Amino acid sequence: MPDIITILKTKFPDGIISEQITKNDFPTLWVHAHNCMAILYFLKKEIAQPYTMLYDLTAIDEQARIYRDEQPDSRFTIVYQLLSFQRNTFLRLKIPLTSQTPSVPSITSVWPSANWYEREVYDLFGVKFTGHPDLRRILMPNTWVGHPLQKCHPARATEMGPFHLPESKQDKEQEAMKFKPEEWGLNKNLGDDELMFLNLGPQHPGTHGILRLVVQLDGEDIVNIVPDIGFHHRGAEKMGERQSWHSYIPYTDRVEYLGGVMNNFPYVMAVEKLAGIEVPERVKMIRIMMSELFRISSHLVWYGTFAQDLGMMTPVFLTFNDREKVLGIVEAICGARMHPNWFRIGGVTQDLPKGWEKLVQAFIDYFPKRLKEYDNLVMKNSIFKARTVGIGVYTTEEAIEWGITGPGLRATGFEWDFRKKQPYSGYQNFDFDVPIGKNGDCYDRAAVRVEEMRQSLRIIQQCVNNMPEGPYKSNHPLTTPPLKEKTLQDIETLIHHFINISLGPVIPAGEAFCSVEATKGNNGYYLISDGNINSYRTRIRTPSFPHMQLVPEISRGYTIPDLMAILGSVDYVLSDIDR
Amino acid sequence: MTVAPETTTLLWPFLLYGATVVILVSGIVLISYFLGERHKESATNNVYEGGIIATGTARLKFPVDFYVVALFFVIFDMAAVFIIAWAITVKSVGWAGYTAILLFIAALASILIYIRSVGAFDFGPNSKRILKAYRTKIKNTSYEMVDK
Amino acid sequence: MKWWTNKVNDPTALTGNSSFEETVQKSIVLTNMESMLAWGRKNSIWPFNFGLSCCYVEMATSITSKYDIARFGAEVIRGTPREADMMIVAGTVFIKMAPVIKQLYEQMMAPRWVISMGACANSGGMYDIYSVVQGVDKFMPVDIYVPGCPPRPDAFMEGLLLLREQIGKERRPLNWVVGNQGIVKPEAISMKEIKTVERMKMTEIRRPDEV
Repeated sequence: MPDIITILKTKFPDGIISEQITKNDFPTLWVHAHNCMAILYFLKKEIAQPYTMLYDLTAIDEQARIYRDEQPDSRFTIVYQLLSFQRNTFLRLKIPLTSQTPSVPSITSVWPSANWYEREVYDLFGVKFTGHPDLRRILMPNTWVGHPLQKCHPARATEMGPFHLPESKQDKEQEAMKFKPEEWGLNKNLGDDELMFLNLGPQHPGTHGILRLVVQLDGEDIVNIVPDIGFHHRGAEKMGERQSWHSYIPYTDRVEYLGGVMNNFPYVMAVEKLAGIEVPERVKMIRIMMSELFRISSHLVWYGTFAQDLGMMTPVFLTFNDREKVLGIVEAICGARMHPNWFRIGGVTQDLPKGWEKLVQAFIDYFPKRLKEYDNLVMKNSIFKARTVGIGVYTTEEAIEWGITGPGLRATGFEWDFRKKQPYSGYQNFDFDVPIGKNGDCYDRAAVRVEEMRQSLRIIQQCVNNMPEGPYKSNHPLTTPPLKEKTLQDIETLIHHFINISLGPVIPAGEAFCSVEATKGNNGYYLISDGNINSYRTRIRTPSFPHMQLVPEISRGYTIPDLMAILGSVDYVLSDIDR
Repeated sequence: MTVAPETTTLLWPFLLYGATVVILVSGIVLISYFLGERHKESATNNVYEGGIIATGTARLKFPVDFYVVALFFVIFDMAAVFIIAWAITVKSVGWAGYTAILLFIAALASILIYIRSVGAFDFGPNSKRILKAYRTKIKNTSYEMVDK
Repeated sequence: MKWWTNKVNDPTALTGNSSFEETVQKSIVLTNMESMLAWGRKNSIWPFNFGLSCCYVEMATSITSKYDIARFGAEVIRGTPREADMMIVAGTVFIKMAPVIKQLYEQMMAPRWVISMGACANSGGMYDIYSVVQGVDKFMPVDIYVPGCPPRPDAFMEGLLLLREQIGKERRPLNWVVGNQGIVKPEAISMKEIKTVERMKMTEIRRPDEV
């Protein structure tokens, strides 16, 4: 079977500009802007083993970049990353834009999930998308001037003058945030009924964070939902351009605040790919063990709060209690409870403490009984079932169309887990099952997550049984910070230690992408290095961003209590949506 | 035939009770009106809606489902009044009254069963029907996933 | 002649000139009543269900059974600001969210207190970035600052206990019609200075390579 580049070059001989070599093994192609719609349509519909999922859509501001090798001339580059399940590989297409007012045709007619991605690129970069149904800001407030991820926009708040909130400014901002139905094309009437617009406002106990959903209601039935995100935008991608490769690790922790160390994982793997570092076997297994512990912790938080949304007050206290046991292990090994930022470039911070096996084994022995109790309390409860079975249903095709990954995709019956299909860090040596659902409704998503907790326990048990001996950091010069024993003996390592910590490691120029099966779905980091101590562009592809885009589609016709069940079962975290 | 002696019910305890209630409630309301601090900032008297200014008003024409609930309440409440009226005089109306009230309750019960079967109590979507529709949709458009 | 004494720099100092009998009457009755009200207020602070970011998870953890702030009176968590006493700004304060927080604070009924929880709410934390306000006290008055990223539930509980002590010593007006309308608060203390003595005594630190 001819490879994808040959197929594209024969079909679009003048569309492809060139191929770029990155540190990944999937191809990256530069294409012309006027061909991109045709090429994307061809890749999605007409080719054999098509690229059915739009994995990511982002942009790069190339104006300050030094090492571009043979890349085409460009001021802004639009990047499309596609995923093909049948080929089990990614494909990246890049479009160079050179004009002063960059614009590119919108691909919302090919993939509906491109809607929010294109709004985000417009908001943060200023690139216009012609043909987009509704191009407006998504992450920044409506009154913001400027496009933050452009290189000329200031990064620090302290560079932008002190913040004041006088009454006039507060009134202006609130007026700008007020929802005007005409702007969104929504009617005020449906037949004879008048429709009510309700703000499930930024402050609401049921939205699990600061998310605003404007719900158009006919009585209690939902006609339409308009989510308004961006209240939690912390500028993690801009921060990556200012912090060194090493001091950026705490910021990755806070991208998905329940995931802890699982968030460091794709970032340090991508940096290690750029630097060419191979980590020892012990490091790989430690990383897997800590990630699975955090998966259990995140799912326990989800479990308790989901049951609480549906009216059960007891499970919250029980699951948070179990989470305390997990956090006790995490604190003993990593030193901190919620944001350990414990992974390092080239390894982990320090070795596992003596006696860790007993601690972890105690938890593994204690937890299955509790899961069984929660099964009886929650999953077999008839009210829980009545409130979640048949609610918020979507099929596998709809899920792939909208970019859903993780338990939301597996609940539709499609067995796709990146730990099995594209194993990383030694997951291929582990023996675990991938739970799938049947209907794709709220109940199946809940059942998949509960079963995932059991499988994580299996993985952790295998880690306890098979942990290899060895160093906890690699011996590469770019390991930051280097092994302490060597630092204290060897002047070369001491110099590396000092420079890498105070200034930052100089990672060679290149591009690398790494993704993991995180707690909420697939979390990927696309790093571009310019041969400097900090990243040139850090793109964080988070799973909850496309999940939130799907919520309006699956909630039409349901009532507000069903919306609470849907939001709980989607299991997003606001900092995962807004970064 | 003897004439039953007349019994007089006293009025003054009732009036005293009413006066105590009125004084207590108005006292609580008045005192709590005057106690405490007050502050007035720009947003203090706004309607609370999650911290945002609300769009539109809540005084709308809303759908007829809600009226139906009120209607049922009124009907069955009136029925309850009649049953309580019978319960007060149960001894004096005897067996004739018992059969009458039995017929009344049987009529009410049949109305209730009819209303439920027609679907006036169903709020929100029927999740079982939605699930069945999705299952047929999945079966008809079988998505072939050929794994390597 | 003044028939009472005041501590130096006491914010609750009594002023005025009245006879001996009036003074005795006033000092006993007012102080008892006010301290009783303050005791009632401090033992039933109802928090507002308002979490912004990661610190909210630690706040929620402190409400659950292992840490349990309900035993200090913070039992009922209210979803609307009209019924809540205390707003805990838990998490990063974003520029897009600042008008909303201000609106919610203005909609809270007096008496109301604010705890700023976490490094981001105290001063912007490690997020010196274009979309984050460098501290919630840029536009709102704050009573207690709890440092940490995120602060442990134990640390948050200590902040709550400090707030209780502060509330127990406050003087607030009894009604809005007559009387002194000002709020008199005790001086804010830095726990760092108070705990320095004990911290200086620590000589043995646990090694991290053992559980």
